[in-house]
Amino acid sequence: MSLDLGAPYVQRALLEMLLLALPAGLLGSWIVLRRLAFFTHAVGTVSFPALVLASAWGIAPQLAALAAALGFGVAQERLERTRRLGADAATGLLLVGALAAGVVLASDVFESGTEVDTLLFGSLIGLSASDVWLTALVAAGAVALDAGLRRHWLGAGFEPAGARALGLRPVLADRMLLAGIAAAAIVALSAVGALLVTVVLVVPAATARLLTDRLASLQLAAIALAAVEGVAAVWLADSLNVGAGPALAVLGGTVFALVAVATALRARAVPA
Amino acid sequence: MKRVDAGAHPREGRSGARGVVVRGLSGGYEPGRDALSEVSFAAEPGQIVGVLGPNGGGKTTLFRALLGELPIRRGEVELPGGPAYVPQTERARLDFPVSALDVVLMGAYARTPWFRRIARRDRDAARAVLERIGLADEADASFGALSGGQRQRVLIGRALLQDAPVLLLDEPLSGVDGVSAARIDALFAELRAERRTLLVATHDVRQAGEWDRVLCLHGRQVDYGRPAAVLSPETLRETYGAELIVLEGGGRAVGVGHHAH
Repeated sequence: MSLDLGAPYVQRALLEMLLLALPAGLLGSWIVLRRLAFFTHAVGTVSFPALVLASAWGIAPQLAALAAALGFGVAQERLERTRRLGADAATGLLLVGALAAGVVLASDVFESGTEVDTLLFGSLIGLSASDVWLTALVAAGAVALDAGLRRHWLGAGFEPAGARALGLRPVLADRMLLAGIAAAAIVALSAVGALLVTVVLVVPAATARLLTDRLASLQLAAIALAAVEGVAAVWLADSLNVGAGPALAVLGGTVFALVAVATALRARAVPA
Repeated sequence: MKRVDAGAHPREGRSGARGVVVRGLSGGYEPGRDALSEVSFAAEPGQIVGVLGPNGGGKTTLFRALLGELPIRRGEVELPGGPAYVPQTERARLDFPVSALDVVLMGAYARTPWFRRIARRDRDAARAVLERIGLADEADASFGALSGGQRQRVLIGRALLQDAPVLLLDEPLSGVDGVSAARIDALFAELRAERRTLLVATHDVRQAGEWDRVLCLHGRQVDYGRPAAVLSPETLRETYGAELIVLEGGGRAVGVGHHAH
């Protein structure tokens, strides 16, 4: 059950998980604070049919996912603007449509179900060097975005009505946040799969949120947690021969549940 | 769309500084429909203006116009500098990881470059503001853990740190505890002495009667002037229609217009 650290695919997988820990902690904290988990999940899921097509046409999966995310953003805004649908309902509709389209396309494109599994739940062996490079690029972008816009995200997220009077640019900052999250989701899906991007981008930050009441420590704890869980997930996936996404989902879910129970027990023992 | 910003800092031109001048203002978000029209008034430095009106009567819309966030169709707004805005506490998220000090420090965001930490001078000023709003001991308390009145004081503290010549306050005294209300009243007196202009949206007619000027809005301007001149039963009836006005604090309620009960 030990990890073969000499194997290139293991090295790439570990590096990918450590790099993903940066957007997972920095942007993941904002996803949790700004209640954008469903959006994050949606960006991953709508990319599924695009990934099927990319694999059929031999183009870069991230490029196809980017196109899908852009299409999702436009469609979402249109559906919302009709005012007959709430944002959540609109997202839900688009998700169902994307999954259905993906499955129909996949039955035409792929011979076996394993390739569909890989797209939906990720694969360690499938990671290429360029996947890792792209993740490094997005990780650097997440650090830059967070440094440049964290006051805008904090001020406008805390109290939107007064944001502009504070000299903040809430609309621009929010668009950049959504774009950053979309980019993080797109690079995460090659590792953990289209259906499970939230296990890396939401679960560690949500767990860290239970433990701290300060933004800086929330982000640091989320980065650390995402890194540790990611590395452990690579080991688990390699040992059990499962996808990295499901391994991380089980790990992340278990850690969240344990922390939730522990903090609840402590709160009961020491009433505020 | 005209919005004149004279740009004078309150510290500089306190003697000759101008207050808020609004001339023939009409505007709204929906094309072709004015949420607010025919507003014309002038408030001098050191004056507190009570802004009265029913819900949806245009109080918040006027504030949006002064903040430069409302499409102005006609008229113009003249300000001595960017106004600070104090929202109702319910507008702020209670589950954000911010302390009372963090929220007050947001008042220094506009003068802090993104790559810098907030300046020592501003951190000291924020501590002084907490002292001033009576919450020095709560500096590190989570905003969400404070009482409603304390939260309101913290949001006022955020505006104090902004050091703006004009403050727009959205029902700062509704639903706050007695200690907070007294402290906010005292702050208003200090801000008035500092020659700042305060526009205070309120539902409390009696309270507005204690301030320098009263502005009555009902989609348009009903009246503006000294409380003694403006607060007549006729004007209030025109402002509120048949809506009931609750006088907070005293727990009394008066009906404006003819109520059957």
